[in-house]
Amino acid sequence: MPEIAKLNVVSENPRLIDRQLVHRCLAGEPQAERALYDAHVERVYRLVHRMAGDADLAADFTQETFIRAFDRLDQFRGDSSLATWLHTIAVSVALNGMRKVKRIRARTDNIDETPDLAARTTGFTADLKARLHSAIDALSEKLRPVFVMHDVEGYTHEEIAGTLGIPVGTSKARLFDARAKLRLALAAFAGDHIA
Amino acid sequence: MNDDRMDELLAEAARDYNAPADVPRDEIWSRIQAERGARRRDRSPNRVWMWPTVGIAAAALLAVGVTLGRRMERSASPAAAPLTVATPQTARDSTGQLITQLRHETTATDRRVRELASANPATAIDRAGGATQPDDATSLSYHLVVLKHLAGSEALITAFRSAARNGEIDAQIAAWSKELLSTTRMLEASVATDDPTMKRLLEDLDLVLAQIKQYVTRGTNNPEDLDLIEQSIIKRGVITKLRGTVPARNVPAGI
Repeated sequence: MPEIAKLNVVSENPRLIDRQLVHRCLAGEPQAERALYDAHVERVYRLVHRMAGDADLAADFTQETFIRAFDRLDQFRGDSSLATWLHTIAVSVALNGMRKVKRIRARTDNIDETPDLAARTTGFTADLKARLHSAIDALSEKLRPVFVMHDVEGYTHEEIAGTLGIPVGTSKARLFDARAKLRLALAAFAGDHIA
Repeated sequence: MNDDRMDELLAEAARDYNAPADVPRDEIWSRIQAERGARRRDRSPNRVWMWPTVGIAAAALLAVGVTLGRRMERSASPAAAPLTVATPQTARDSTGQLITQLRHETTATDRRVRELASANPATAIDRAGGATQPDDATSLSYHLVVLKHLAGSEALITAFRSAARNGEIDAQIAAWSKELLSTTRMLEASVATDDPTMKRLLEDLDLVLAQIKQYVTRGTNNPEDLDLIEQSIIKRGVITKLRGTVPARNVPAGI
Protein backbone atom coordinates (compact mmCIF):
# COMPACT_ATOMS: atom_id res chain seq x y z
CA MET A 1 0.00 0.00 0.00
CA PRO A 2 2.41 2.73 -1.08
CA GLU A 3 0.09 5.71 -0.62
CA ILE A 4 -2.19 4.68 2.20
CA ALA A 5 0.65 4.95 4.70
CA LYS A 6 1.09 8.61 3.84
CA LEU A 7 -2.45 9.45 4.82
CA ASN A 8 -3.23 10.62 8.27
CA VAL A 9 -5.57 7.77 9.05
CA VAL A 10 -6.70 8.11 12.65
CA SER A 11 -8.69 4.93 13.09
CA GLU A 12 -8.04 1.23 12.98
CA ASN A 13 -11.70 0.58 12.23
CA PRO A 14 -11.95 -0.45 8.57
CA ARG A 15 -15.34 1.20 8.10
CA LEU A 16 -13.99 4.48 9.47
CA ILE A 17 -10.93 4.26 7.26
CA ASP A 18 -13.25 3.68 4.30
CA ARG A 19 -15.30 6.74 5.20
CA GLN A 20 -12.24 8.92 5.71
CA LEU A 21 -10.85 7.83 2.37
CA VAL A 22 -14.13 8.47 0.60
CA HIS A 23 -14.42 11.94 2.15
CA ARG A 24 -10.92 12.82 1.09
CA CYS A 25 -11.53 11.55 -2.41
CA LEU A 26 -14.71 13.59 -2.66
CA ALA A 27 -12.78 16.61 -1.42
CA GLY A 28 -10.51 16.16 -4.44
CA GLU A 29 -7.38 14.80 -2.78
CA PRO A 30 -5.47 12.86 -5.45
CA GLN A 31 -3.43 11.05 -2.77
CA ALA A 32 -6.62 9.70 -1.24
CA GLU A 33 -7.79 8.39 -4.61
CA ARG A 34 -4.51 6.59 -5.07
CA ALA A 35 -4.72 5.23 -1.54
CA LEU A 36 -8.22 3.91 -2.15
CA TYR A 37 -7.03 2.31 -5.37
CA ASP A 38 -3.97 0.76 -3.72
CA ALA A 39 -6.02 -0.61 -0.87
CA HIS A 40 -8.47 -2.45 -3.13
CA VAL A 41 -6.91 -3.05 -6.52
CA GLU A 42 -5.35 -6.38 -5.59
CA ARG A 43 -8.62 -8.11 -4.70
CA VAL A 44 -10.58 -6.44 -7.50
CA TYR A 45 -8.01 -7.53 -10.06
CA ARG A 46 -7.83 -11.06 -8.68
CA LEU A 47 -11.59 -11.38 -8.77
CA VAL A 48 -12.06 -10.13 -12.32
CA HIS A 49 -9.07 -12.15 -13.50
CA ARG A 50 -10.65 -15.31 -12.09
CA MET A 51 -13.86 -14.39 -13.89
CA ALA A 52 -12.21 -13.44 -17.20
CA GLY A 53 -9.21 -15.77 -17.36
CA ASP A 54 -7.21 -13.21 -19.31
CA ALA A 55 -4.75 -10.58 -18.07
CA ASP A 56 -5.72 -7.94 -20.66
CA LEU A 57 -9.42 -8.32 -19.94
CA ALA A 58 -8.74 -8.28 -16.20
CA ALA A 59 -6.85 -5.00 -16.58
CA ASP A 60 -9.72 -3.56 -18.66
CA PHE A 61 -12.34 -4.65 -16.14
CA THR A 62 -10.30 -3.36 -13.19
CA GLN A 63 -9.87 -0.03 -14.92
CA GLU A 64 -13.59 0.24 -15.65
CA THR A 65 -14.44 -0.76 -12.06
CA PHE A 66 -12.39 2.04 -10.53
CA ILE A 67 -13.52 4.63 -13.09
CA ARG A 68 -17.14 3.85 -12.23
CA ALA A 69 -16.35 3.80 -8.53
CA PHE A 70 -14.69 7.23 -8.59
CA ASP A 71 -17.56 8.60 -10.68
CA ARG A 72 -20.15 7.31 -8.22
CA LEU A 73 -18.26 7.71 -4.97
CA ASP A 74 -20.80 10.26 -3.75
CA GLN A 75 -23.38 7.45 -3.86
CA PHE A 76 -21.40 5.29 -1.43
CA ARG A 77 -23.35 5.44 1.83
CA GLY A 78 -21.28 3.13 3.95
CA ASP A 79 -24.08 0.58 4.47
CA SER A 80 -21.66 -2.07 3.31
CA SER A 81 -17.88 -1.96 3.35
CA LEU A 82 -16.11 -0.11 0.57
CA ALA A 83 -14.61 -3.45 -0.53
CA THR A 84 -18.07 -4.99 -0.92
CA TRP A 85 -19.29 -1.94 -2.82
CA LEU A 86 -16.27 -2.08 -5.16
CA HIS A 87 -16.64 -5.83 -5.68
CA THR A 88 -20.28 -5.36 -6.63
CA ILE A 89 -19.19 -2.98 -9.38
CA ALA A 90 -16.37 -5.32 -10.40
CA VAL A 91 -18.66 -8.36 -10.75
CA SER A 92 -21.15 -6.33 -12.77
CA VAL A 93 -18.42 -4.99 -15.07
CA ALA A 94 -16.89 -8.45 -15.49
CA LEU A 95 -20.19 -10.20 -16.23
CA ASN A 96 -21.26 -7.56 -18.77
CA GLY A 97 -17.80 -7.59 -20.35
CA MET A 98 -17.70 -11.38 -20.56
CA ARG A 99 -21.06 -11.50 -22.33
CA LYS A 100 -19.61 -9.32 -25.05
CA VAL A 101 -16.33 -11.24 -25.17
CA LYS A 102 -18.14 -14.57 -25.45
CA ARG A 103 -20.03 -13.34 -28.49
CA ILE A 104 -16.79 -12.29 -30.16
CA ARG A 105 -15.00 -15.50 -29.18
CA ALA A 106 -17.82 -17.56 -30.62
CA ARG A 107 -16.82 -16.18 -34.01
CA THR A 108 -13.08 -16.63 -33.61
CA ASP A 109 -12.76 -19.65 -31.34
CA ASN A 110 -11.56 -21.86 -34.15
CA ILE A 111 -8.74 -19.39 -34.74
CA ASP A 112 -7.68 -18.39 -31.27
CA GLU A 113 -8.13 -21.74 -29.60
CA THR A 114 -5.85 -23.94 -31.61
CA PRO A 115 -5.37 -27.32 -30.02
CA ASP A 116 -2.19 -27.42 -28.03
CA LEU A 117 -0.53 -30.72 -28.86
CA ALA A 118 1.71 -30.51 -25.81
CA ALA A 119 -1.31 -30.35 -23.55
CA ARG A 120 -2.74 -33.52 -25.05
CA THR A 121 0.23 -35.53 -23.93
CA THR A 122 -0.14 -34.60 -20.25
CA GLY A 123 -1.50 -37.12 -17.75
CA PHE A 124 -4.87 -37.98 -16.37
CA THR A 125 -4.80 -35.38 -13.57
CA ALA A 126 -3.94 -32.55 -15.94
CA ASP A 127 -6.71 -33.63 -18.31
CA LEU A 128 -9.09 -33.81 -15.42
CA LYS A 129 -8.12 -30.33 -14.27
CA ALA A 130 -8.60 -28.97 -17.77
CA ARG A 131 -12.01 -30.65 -17.89
CA LEU A 132 -12.91 -29.14 -14.53
CA HIS A 133 -11.81 -25.68 -15.63
CA SER A 134 -14.06 -26.04 -18.68
CA ALA A 135 -16.89 -27.16 -16.40
CA ILE A 136 -16.37 -24.07 -14.20
CA ASP A 137 -16.40 -21.91 -17.35
CA ALA A 138 -19.68 -23.55 -18.32
CA LEU A 139 -21.43 -22.79 -15.02
CA SER A 140 -24.31 -20.35 -15.35
CA GLU A 141 -23.98 -16.63 -14.62
CA LYS A 142 -25.68 -17.21 -11.28
CA LEU A 143 -23.53 -20.10 -10.13
CA ARG A 144 -20.08 -19.19 -11.43
CA PRO A 145 -19.56 -15.92 -9.50
CA VAL A 146 -20.54 -17.64 -6.25
CA PHE A 147 -18.24 -20.60 -6.89
CA VAL A 148 -15.34 -18.36 -7.97
CA MET A 149 -15.77 -16.03 -5.01
CA HIS A 150 -16.16 -18.76 -2.40
CA ASP A 151 -14.11 -21.75 -3.49
CA VAL A 152 -11.50 -19.95 -5.59
CA GLU A 153 -11.02 -16.58 -3.88
CA GLY A 154 -12.12 -17.48 -0.36
CA TYR A 155 -14.93 -14.94 0.19
CA THR A 156 -17.42 -15.71 2.95
CA HIS A 157 -21.09 -16.25 2.15
CA GLU A 158 -21.84 -12.94 3.90
CA GLU A 159 -19.39 -11.12 1.61
CA ILE A 160 -20.80 -12.84 -1.47
CA ALA A 161 -24.35 -12.04 -0.42
CA GLY A 162 -23.43 -8.37 0.07
CA THR A 163 -21.58 -8.17 -3.24
CA LEU A 164 -24.18 -9.91 -5.37
CA GLY A 165 -27.18 -8.51 -3.52
CA ILE A 166 -28.61 -11.91 -2.63
CA PRO A 167 -29.51 -13.55 0.70
CA VAL A 168 -26.83 -15.62 2.43
CA GLY A 169 -28.99 -18.72 2.01
CA THR A 170 -29.13 -18.18 -1.74
CA SER A 171 -25.36 -17.90 -1.86
CA LYS A 172 -25.05 -21.22 -0.03
CA ALA A 173 -27.61 -22.89 -2.27
CA ARG A 174 -25.87 -21.67 -5.41
CA LEU A 175 -22.51 -22.94 -4.17
CA PHE A 176 -24.10 -26.32 -3.46
CA ASP A 177 -25.55 -26.43 -6.99
CA ALA A 178 -22.26 -25.35 -8.56
CA ARG A 179 -20.29 -28.04 -6.73
CA ALA A 180 -22.88 -30.67 -7.66
CA LYS A 181 -22.55 -29.77 -11.33
CA LEU A 182 -18.77 -29.88 -11.15
CA ARG A 183 -18.80 -33.26 -9.38
CA LEU A 184 -21.05 -34.55 -12.12
CA ALA A 185 -18.64 -33.36 -14.80
CA LEU A 186 -15.75 -34.87 -12.89
CA ALA A 187 -17.52 -38.19 -12.37
CA ALA A 188 -18.42 -38.45 -16.06
CA PHE A 189 -14.82 -37.84 -17.04
CA ALA A 190 -13.37 -40.19 -14.43
CA GLY A 191 -15.92 -42.80 -15.51
CA ASP A 192 -14.79 -42.52 -19.12
CA HIS A 193 -11.20 -43.13 -18.10
CA ILE A 194 -11.96 -46.01 -15.76
CA ALA A 195 -14.10 -47.60 -18.43
CA MET B 1 -12.95 -42.51 -7.38
CA ASN B 2 -14.33 -41.79 -3.90
CA ASP B 3 -16.01 -38.55 -2.78
CA ASP B 4 -13.00 -37.36 -0.77
CA ARG B 5 -10.68 -37.73 -3.74
CA MET B 6 -13.24 -35.97 -5.91
CA ASP B 7 -13.47 -33.04 -3.48
CA GLU B 8 -9.69 -32.90 -3.29
CA LEU B 9 -9.44 -32.66 -7.07
CA LEU B 10 -12.19 -30.10 -7.15
CA ALA B 11 -10.39 -27.92 -4.60
CA GLU B 12 -7.11 -28.27 -6.48
CA ALA B 13 -8.71 -27.33 -9.78
CA ALA B 14 -10.40 -24.36 -8.11
CA ARG B 15 -7.06 -23.06 -6.81
CA ASP B 16 -5.57 -23.07 -10.30
CA TYR B 17 -8.65 -21.74 -12.05
CA ASN B 18 -7.73 -18.57 -14.01
CA ALA B 19 -4.92 -17.92 -11.55
CA PRO B 20 -3.80 -14.29 -11.83
CA ALA B 21 -0.19 -13.18 -12.06
CA ASP B 22 1.03 -9.97 -10.40
CA VAL B 23 -1.32 -7.00 -10.60
CA PRO B 24 -0.05 -4.39 -13.08
CA ARG B 25 -0.92 -1.79 -10.44
CA ASP B 26 0.83 1.28 -11.89
CA GLU B 27 -0.15 0.51 -15.48
CA ILE B 28 -3.84 0.27 -14.61
CA TRP B 29 -3.63 3.41 -12.47
CA SER B 30 -2.11 5.36 -15.39
CA ARG B 31 -4.89 4.13 -17.66
CA ILE B 32 -7.54 5.13 -15.13
CA GLN B 33 -6.06 8.60 -14.88
CA ALA B 34 -5.93 8.95 -18.68
CA GLU B 35 -9.52 7.77 -19.13
CA ARG B 36 -10.88 9.99 -16.42
CA GLY B 37 -9.01 12.97 -17.85
CA ALA B 38 -10.44 12.26 -21.30
CA ARG B 39 -13.93 11.91 -19.86
CA ARG B 40 -13.62 15.22 -18.01
CA ARG B 41 -12.46 16.93 -21.21
CA ASP B 42 -15.38 15.45 -23.14
CA ARG B 43 -17.80 16.74 -20.52
CA SER B 44 -16.37 20.26 -20.55
CA PRO B 45 -18.47 23.09 -22.10
CA ASN B 46 -15.90 23.50 -24.89
CA ARG B 47 -16.57 19.93 -26.00
CA VAL B 48 -18.59 20.96 -29.06
CA TRP B 49 -15.64 22.91 -30.44
CA MET B 50 -13.34 19.95 -30.00
CA TRP B 51 -14.92 17.81 -32.73
CA PRO B 52 -13.82 19.82 -35.78
CA THR B 53 -10.27 19.76 -34.38
CA VAL B 54 -10.48 16.01 -33.84
CA GLY B 55 -11.82 15.63 -37.36
CA ILE B 56 -9.04 17.62 -38.95
CA ALA B 57 -6.38 15.79 -36.93
CA ALA B 58 -7.91 12.41 -37.74
CA ALA B 59 -8.11 13.19 -41.44
CA ALA B 60 -4.48 14.27 -41.44
CA LEU B 61 -3.36 11.16 -39.59
CA LEU B 62 -5.51 9.00 -41.84
CA ALA B 63 -3.74 10.43 -44.86
CA VAL B 64 -0.39 9.66 -43.27
CA GLY B 65 -1.46 6.09 -42.47
CA VAL B 66 -2.76 5.35 -45.94
CA THR B 67 0.24 7.02 -47.51
CA LEU B 68 2.72 5.02 -45.50
CA GLY B 69 0.83 1.78 -46.03
CA ARG B 70 0.62 2.13 -49.79
CA ARG B 71 4.19 3.35 -50.05
CA MET B 72 5.24 0.29 -48.10
CA GLU B 73 3.34 -1.96 -50.48
CA ARG B 74 4.96 -0.30 -53.49
CA SER B 75 8.44 -0.65 -52.07
CA ALA B 76 7.72 -4.29 -51.22
CA SER B 77 6.39 -5.25 -54.66
CA PRO B 78 8.86 -6.87 -57.07
CA ALA B 79 7.92 -4.42 -59.84
CA ALA B 80 9.05 -1.51 -57.76
CA ALA B 81 12.35 -3.07 -56.82
CA PRO B 82 14.44 -1.76 -59.76
CA LEU B 83 13.46 1.81 -58.89
CA THR B 84 14.86 1.69 -55.42
CA VAL B 85 18.36 2.97 -54.86
CA ALA B 86 18.58 1.84 -51.28
CA THR B 87 20.78 -1.03 -50.23
CA PRO B 88 18.88 -4.02 -48.77
CA GLN B 89 19.95 -3.04 -45.24
CA THR B 90 18.84 0.58 -45.78
CA ALA B 91 15.55 -0.63 -47.19
CA ARG B 92 15.00 -2.83 -44.16
CA ASP B 93 15.80 0.07 -41.83
CA SER B 94 13.42 2.28 -43.74
CA THR B 95 10.65 -0.32 -43.53
CA GLY B 96 11.31 -0.69 -39.83
CA GLN B 97 10.93 3.06 -39.38
CA LEU B 98 7.69 3.03 -41.34
CA ILE B 99 6.33 0.24 -39.17
CA THR B 100 7.35 2.12 -36.03
CA GLN B 101 5.56 5.22 -37.29
CA LEU B 102 2.45 3.22 -38.16
CA ARG B 103 2.43 1.52 -34.78
CA HIS B 104 2.41 4.94 -33.14
CA GLU B 105 -0.67 5.71 -35.24
CA THR B 106 -2.29 2.45 -34.17
CA THR B 107 -1.61 3.13 -30.51
CA ALA B 108 -3.08 6.63 -30.82
CA THR B 109 -6.15 5.27 -32.60
CA ASP B 110 -6.63 2.58 -29.96
CA ARG B 111 -6.35 5.24 -27.24
CA ARG B 112 -8.96 7.35 -29.02
CA VAL B 113 -11.36 4.39 -29.32
CA ARG B 114 -10.96 3.74 -25.59
CA GLU B 115 -11.59 7.41 -24.84
CA LEU B 116 -14.73 7.36 -26.95
CA ALA B 117 -15.88 4.13 -25.33
CA SER B 118 -15.35 5.48 -21.83
CA ALA B 119 -17.03 8.79 -22.69
CA ASN B 120 -19.97 6.85 -24.11
CA PRO B 121 -20.17 3.73 -21.97
CA ALA B 122 -23.36 2.61 -23.67
CA THR B 123 -21.38 2.21 -26.86
CA ALA B 124 -18.79 -0.08 -25.37
CA ILE B 125 -19.03 -2.85 -22.82
CA ASP B 126 -22.54 -1.94 -21.71
CA ARG B 127 -23.86 -1.87 -25.23
CA ALA B 128 -24.76 -5.52 -24.80
CA GLY B 129 -27.15 -4.53 -22.07
CA GLY B 130 -29.11 -1.90 -23.97
CA ALA B 131 -27.98 0.53 -26.62
CA THR B 132 -28.64 4.24 -26.69
CA GLN B 133 -28.62 6.42 -29.77
CA PRO B 134 -25.28 8.18 -30.23
CA ASP B 135 -25.28 11.92 -30.91
CA ASP B 136 -23.89 13.35 -34.16
CA ALA B 137 -20.58 14.31 -32.63
CA THR B 138 -20.07 10.78 -31.31
CA SER B 139 -20.97 9.24 -34.65
CA LEU B 140 -18.57 11.58 -36.45
CA SER B 141 -15.79 10.77 -34.00
CA TYR B 142 -16.32 7.05 -34.44
CA HIS B 143 -16.43 7.40 -38.20
CA LEU B 144 -13.10 9.20 -38.26
CA VAL B 145 -11.43 6.87 -35.85
CA VAL B 146 -12.69 3.83 -37.80
CA LEU B 147 -11.21 5.24 -41.00
CA LYS B 148 -7.87 5.69 -39.27
CA HIS B 149 -8.07 2.15 -37.95
CA LEU B 150 -8.87 0.73 -41.39
CA ALA B 151 -5.93 2.60 -42.91
CA GLY B 152 -3.64 1.17 -40.22
CA SER B 153 -5.02 -2.33 -40.78
CA GLU B 154 -4.41 -2.12 -44.52
CA ALA B 155 -0.84 -1.08 -43.81
CA LEU B 156 -0.34 -3.99 -41.41
CA ILE B 157 -1.74 -6.57 -43.83
CA THR B 158 0.54 -5.22 -46.55
CA ALA B 159 3.55 -5.23 -44.22
CA PHE B 160 2.72 -8.74 -43.01
CA ARG B 161 2.38 -10.16 -46.51
CA SER B 162 5.69 -8.66 -47.50
CA ALA B 163 7.50 -9.77 -44.32
CA ALA B 164 5.99 -13.28 -44.43
CA ARG B 165 7.12 -13.74 -48.05
CA ASN B 166 10.68 -12.89 -47.00
CA GLY B 167 10.50 -14.78 -43.69
CA GLU B 168 11.22 -11.53 -41.82
CA ILE B 169 8.34 -11.25 -39.39
CA ASP B 170 9.56 -9.50 -36.28
CA ALA B 171 8.25 -8.59 -32.84
CA GLN B 172 6.96 -5.23 -34.09
CA ILE B 173 4.54 -6.87 -36.51
CA ALA B 174 3.45 -9.31 -33.80
CA ALA B 175 2.68 -6.49 -31.34
CA TRP B 176 1.11 -4.35 -34.05
CA SER B 177 -1.30 -7.10 -35.13
CA LYS B 178 -2.31 -7.68 -31.51
CA GLU B 179 -3.03 -3.97 -30.99
CA LEU B 180 -5.06 -3.73 -34.19
CA LEU B 181 -7.07 -6.83 -33.27
CA SER B 182 -7.84 -5.34 -29.87
CA THR B 183 -9.01 -2.07 -31.45
CA THR B 184 -11.08 -3.97 -34.03
CA ARG B 185 -12.88 -5.83 -31.26
CA MET B 186 -13.57 -2.62 -29.37
CA LEU B 187 -14.99 -1.08 -32.53
CA GLU B 188 -17.14 -4.16 -33.09
CA ALA B 189 -18.79 -3.37 -29.77
CA SER B 190 -19.33 0.29 -30.69
CA VAL B 191 -21.77 2.39 -32.70
CA ALA B 192 -19.41 1.92 -35.66
CA THR B 193 -21.26 -1.34 -36.36
CA ASP B 194 -24.60 0.42 -36.73
CA ASP B 195 -23.66 0.52 -40.41
CA PRO B 196 -24.11 -3.10 -41.66
CA THR B 197 -21.37 -2.74 -44.28
CA MET B 198 -18.91 -1.50 -41.69
CA LYS B 199 -19.99 -4.29 -39.34
CA ARG B 200 -19.18 -6.93 -41.97
CA LEU B 201 -15.87 -5.29 -42.80
CA LEU B 202 -14.85 -5.20 -39.12
CA GLU B 203 -15.84 -8.85 -38.74
CA ASP B 204 -13.75 -9.82 -41.77
CA LEU B 205 -10.88 -7.76 -40.45
CA ASP B 206 -11.23 -9.41 -37.04
CA LEU B 207 -10.85 -12.83 -38.67
CA VAL B 208 -7.81 -11.89 -40.75
CA LEU B 209 -6.08 -10.05 -37.91
CA ALA B 210 -6.73 -12.98 -35.55
CA GLN B 211 -5.15 -15.33 -38.10
CA ILE B 212 -2.16 -13.03 -38.54
CA LYS B 213 -1.74 -12.65 -34.79
CA GLN B 214 -1.84 -16.40 -34.34
CA TYR B 215 0.60 -16.99 -37.18
CA VAL B 216 3.19 -14.57 -35.81
CA THR B 217 2.69 -15.75 -32.23
CA ARG B 218 3.31 -19.37 -33.19
CA GLY B 219 6.40 -18.38 -35.15
CA THR B 220 6.45 -21.67 -37.05
CA ASN B 221 6.28 -19.97 -40.48
CA ASN B 222 4.07 -22.78 -41.72
CA PRO B 223 3.31 -22.14 -45.44
CA GLU B 224 -0.12 -23.79 -45.07
CA ASP B 225 -1.11 -21.32 -42.36
CA LEU B 226 0.12 -18.48 -44.53
CA ASP B 227 -1.95 -19.84 -47.40
CA LEU B 228 -5.05 -19.89 -45.16
CA ILE B 229 -4.52 -16.24 -44.27
CA GLU B 230 -4.08 -15.34 -47.92
CA GLN B 231 -7.30 -17.20 -48.77
CA SER B 232 -9.19 -15.30 -46.08
CA ILE B 233 -7.90 -11.97 -47.39
CA ILE B 234 -8.81 -12.84 -50.96
CA LYS B 235 -12.12 -14.66 -50.42
CA ARG B 236 -13.44 -11.93 -48.16
CA GLY B 237 -12.05 -9.21 -50.39
CA VAL B 238 -10.56 -7.52 -47.35
CA ILE B 239 -8.05 -5.30 -49.14
CA THR B 240 -10.60 -4.29 -51.78
CA LYS B 241 -13.14 -3.42 -49.11
CA LEU B 242 -10.58 -1.52 -47.07
CA ARG B 243 -9.55 0.52 -50.07
CA GLY B 244 -13.17 1.10 -51.00
CA THR B 245 -13.88 2.43 -47.53
CA VAL B 246 -10.78 4.52 -46.89
CA PRO B 247 -11.24 7.63 -49.04
CA ALA B 248 -8.66 7.78 -51.83
CA ARG B 249 -8.70 11.58 -51.81
CA ASN B 250 -6.81 11.44 -48.55
CA VAL B 251 -3.92 9.77 -50.30
CA PRO B 252 -1.52 12.38 -51.70
CA ALA B 253 -0.64 12.24 -55.39
CA GLY B 254 2.12 9.86 -56.33
CA ILE B 255 1.30 7.30 -53.66
